[in-house]
Amino acid sequence: MFTKKIAALSLATFMISATAVTAYAGTLTDQSPSGNTEVIAHIDGVVPGNVSYKISIPDVVDFGTLVQPETQENSNKAVGYQVSLDEVTGLEADKQISVYVKDQNSTLDGNQNFYIANKANNNIQFMYNVFAVPQDNVQTNQPLNSIPYTKTAGYYLTVFENAGETLDGTLVINQAQLYGQSIADIAGDYSGYMVFYSTVENK
Amino acid sequence: MSNKKKSNTPVMIVMTLLAAAIIGCLAGAMIFMIPSTDDGKDEKAQGVIGKITDNWEDEVSDDNNDQSSRSGTKIPGYSLAVMNEGDLSLKIRIGNPKENTVGFIATVRLEDGTELYKSPMLNPGQGLEEIPLEKTLSKGTYNAEVYYQCVLLNDEQTPLNSAISAFKLYVN
Repeated sequence: MFTKKIAALSLATFMISATAVTAYAGTLTDQSPSGNTEVIAHIDGVVPGNVSYKISIPDVVDFGTLVQPETQENSNKAVGYQVSLDEVTGLEADKQISVYVKDQNSTLDGNQNFYIANKANNNIQFMYNVFAVPQDNVQTNQPLNSIPYTKTAGYYLTVFENAGETLDGTLVINQAQLYGQSIADIAGDYSGYMVFYSTVENK
Repeated sequence: MSNKKKSNTPVMIVMTLLAAAIIGCLAGAMIFMIPSTDDGKDEKAQGVIGKITDNWEDEVSDDNNDQSSRSGTKIPGYSLAVMNEGDLSLKIRIGNPKENTVGFIATVRLEDGTELYKSPMLNPGQGLEEIPLEKTLSKGTYNAEVYYQCVLLNDEQTPLNSAISAFKLYVN
């Protein structure tokens, strides 16, 4: 009788301890979060809510002073921009950081071009193109905005995996748009805003 | 009958002591196995809901791979955040990296535009570790994002290019 009771008690105790250890040692992935505070605090090195990477984007779109051409022929003015991944932590081997870009006012179903607008009169706008290549390679590449984007994030710009990776891109405005316009009407300061969208995606 | 009861008493005492010893050992083992939560890092992660601090750090990683000397505006990015259904706060480190020279207005929202939190203008080095939410969310997985609206540090808060950092928000 005594032996049976000891055995039963030992078995019950073992089962309780086994259950407790299993719950604690559970492994989670991005796809299976759990309410267990101890476990969700560490998912493959990523702490929920913490900054897991940091990118750099250009502050402004600045073409400097535009010049009205004397003919209708193309008169492109180009400026470079840079987007980079400065820091990253806990990025799984099958994941990447994708970066997209679009004009602040563009929409999935509407006008998707990039514009700078007269600060005094937003109705006066000039279009510019965005390239994902350095200035030297613009002639042999199409601008991002040559094909409509299909994600709300915007045009696919680049992908990063390691800190220090950089994209050198180019913005090009054709000053032929100014041809034939009244300088009195279009003179002034212009601004345009780009929105850079970043997300961790599967490769 | 009373003799039988009497003879069982030592057995029950032994069993009780044995059970107490086993439970004690298990409790001790569990305490030993669970990582301490009073180290500096975890303490920082507690934050104060909605409190903007002046010494906010992005704490992406150790400094070994920091390429922050590059030009441009530094934008924090996220992988995921977690909260419980019914919570009216969310632990997420939103802020303006100290190496920036522009201001941030940060909006935490769902992909469908539902706004959860909007910060006042954050100077470089300012940020939050936990934010109050406009509303709680039901259980599920959401596509969420932090919209970092960048502005010049002037009275007009002149707009600059902006950024969106998307992440998965898990509500348990």
